[in-house]
Amino acid sequence: MNTSILRGLVAMAVAVLLVAIFTEPSLALAAEQTVGRDVTTYTFHNSKGVAFLFWFLAAATIGGAIFVITRRNMVTAVMGMVGTFFAIAGLFLMLYASFLAVIQVLVYAGAIMVLFVFVIMILNRPESEPWAIHGLLGKGLAAIGLLYLFKRLASLLWQVKDTHALVLAKDQLGVEVILNHADPELMSRFGGNIRNLDVGSIKEICESGLAICRDYDFGSVQGVGYTLFSDYLLPFEAVSIVLLVAVVGAIAIARPAPEAVAEVSDETPTPEPS
Amino acid sequence: MTSAFYELTVSHFLILSAALFMIGVAGVLLRRNALIVMMSIELMLNAANISVVAFSRAYAGQPEAAFQGQAFALIVIAIAAAEAAVGLAIVVTVFRSRRHSDIDRLTLLKN
Repeated sequence: MNTSILRGLVAMAVAVLLVAIFTEPSLALAAEQTVGRDVTTYTFHNSKGVAFLFWFLAAATIGGAIFVITRRNMVTAVMGMVGTFFAIAGLFLMLYASFLAVIQVLVYAGAIMVLFVFVIMILNRPESEPWAIHGLLGKGLAAIGLLYLFKRLASLLWQVKDTHALVLAKDQLGVEVILNHADPELMSRFGGNIRNLDVGSIKEICESGLAICRDYDFGSVQGVGYTLFSDYLLPFEAVSIVLLVAVVGAIAIARPAPEAVAEVSDETPTPEPS
Repeated sequence: MTSAFYELTVSHFLILSAALFMIGVAGVLLRRNALIVMMSIELMLNAANISVVAFSRAYAGQPEAAFQGQAFALIVIAIAAAEAAVGLAIVVTVFRSRRHSDIDRLTLLKN
């Protein structure tokens, strides 16, 4: 096919995709619902500092990930990935998953990244051509397609509502009060100012049994461990077997063969003329 | 707009996870080095972990479902470690026999 015709077709596809992005009906719907929805019910009740921390960690996560896929030097890419993992550990801390944050730093930033660095040192081969797609049009098409996919996904995810629970942690009591918004009795009694409960109201709720009051341990080792060893016992044991198989398999694959391995050429071997 | 900036919801974490997943997909599609492709796969696994933990936080009010997301994320981390070990062993073996790890040139099984 003629190159100019191909380029024209690609340009037309790009134009159609651009129009589709900016006239996306579900985006307008999502924006409307964002303006109209009751933000007091669904937010985390965070302070402004926590919000700034979230945006900082999000920027570190995305920036590190972009660093990974754009750098030509692979050690630099690994360092960007370590930054991404530390930022993700911070996000886990913001989501009350402290044990998981520690595991993230230990396993990912500590173990898996060291493994990657070892392999990079073993190979020690600079990349000749980092990108697979040649030409600006192909790259632009791929980027626009990815952005379109992301916009569709984001407009869907923005409508996710946290309607089931509102977690109120009060430092004065040292307990975590978990309110169920579907409970009609609780809503009729405290419905008006459910956001600004004082200590007396929280004690009243805890003693009446209308809400769950427990020690402030969401995300602790105890809670996660209890779930892991009761409900998730079978997957836990299966993971141990998977790790054993992976260790044995990795050693079996990477072990040098006893006799020298013949060099395999890239070309398909031509059959011997008979 | 300012309320979307200052008041965090579970959607913020989910959209961040979607963005991280997109970057991982772009890395797998665009890069040719097998090591970078594996690192992009790790990025995608981490994006899935973020969304699972965010849902765990959103459903913290239900005691039977409170820790399930975090337990699930732990299992995903273990599987990712196993995947990295085996995948890197395969990369080392391929490099040892072919002197490169370019996934566009590994076409021995094609056709």
